[in-house]
Amino acid sequence: MTIQIFLTALLATVAVMVGLQRSTSRVLRLAVLAVVALGLYFVWVPEQTTRLAAALGVGRGADLVLYLWVVITLALIVFLYLKIVQLSRRLTELTRAQALARPQIPADSGDSR
Amino acid sequence: MIVPAFNESAIIGPSVSGLRSRFAHVVVVDDGSADATASAALAAGAVVLRHAVNAGQGAALQTGIDYALARGAAFVATFDADGQHHVEDLVTMLAALQGGSQDIVLGSRFLGHAEGLPLARRLVLKAAVLFTNLTTGLRLTDAHNGLRVMTASAARRLHIRQDGMAHASELIEQVGRLGLRYAEVPVTISYSEYSKAKGQRLSNSLLILRDLFAGWLLR
Repeated sequence: MTIQIFLTALLATVAVMVGLQRSTSRVLRLAVLAVVALGLYFVWVPEQTTRLAAALGVGRGADLVLYLWVVITLALIVFLYLKIVQLSRRLTELTRAQALARPQIPADSGDSR
Repeated sequence: MIVPAFNESAIIGPSVSGLRSRFAHVVVVDDGSADATASAALAAGAVVLRHAVNAGQGAALQTGIDYALARGAAFVATFDADGQHHVEDLVTMLAALQGGSQDIVLGSRFLGHAEGLPLARRLVLKAAVLFTNLTTGLRLTDAHNGLRVMTASAARRLHIRQDGMAHASELIEQVGRLGLRYAEVPVTISYSEYSKAKGQRLSNSLLILRDLFAGWLLR
């Protein structure tokens, strides 16, 4: 029972934090809340994971949770990587604008192409 | 002439001087170098655009192209800073572009000469050519050559979004998609110890594939 209370408190905290975070997209917020709800269900009815796992052809419920965890983590890594690429593109635009605003012209040249 | 440069202070001066002997307008884009690249390029007579942070070779090229177009350039060329390209090849390529009906002329080391090219790198480059031809439908003999000359109207239509080394593949992909008329001209690439240390490696090509994939996902 102890671990259930601890995990429930943890998942509830995540749900509240994500729920309050208006900057995150609605789709992502709903996805996280769905994962939290699924987590709570599995925490309180662990035997269900085993039944679900058997139905899906996985041995134990714990294995099913582990596989899901790996898939979710990988998806998150790809998502974060794309976010970083987008950020660095914006940084590039900023850097470019600044460089173009201040060209350094050689002293011996009147023209500057 | 656009020359992207990152920490090339040892060689940028002579590279710019060589270009300046044949071309009036040389723009060096200093991509956040920590050394004296900018002052050396300026002293040799190039206009210098400085990126405050290192953004990548593709980003530097697009900055230089933006500048040249804003200044009313009729032709835009790209040239690597590390001394592996020859100014005479650029003269030939520009003449080919002016005399023909192409929008862009690309240098090819495999039609010309690749001096001192190590075997491993030759294989990587050939694989890149094969990959590029398969994915773009173009028929090229060289894919990652930094020597290019294009008309202003072609330069206006191309837009480099790949900040890193994947820009070379991206440019060729855009040439194919926009239906630009292209031609290859044989050029000589001289591999020195210096340029070998700074050039492409096998690990880089994996990074390029990753960047291309990310670019495709973000399109």
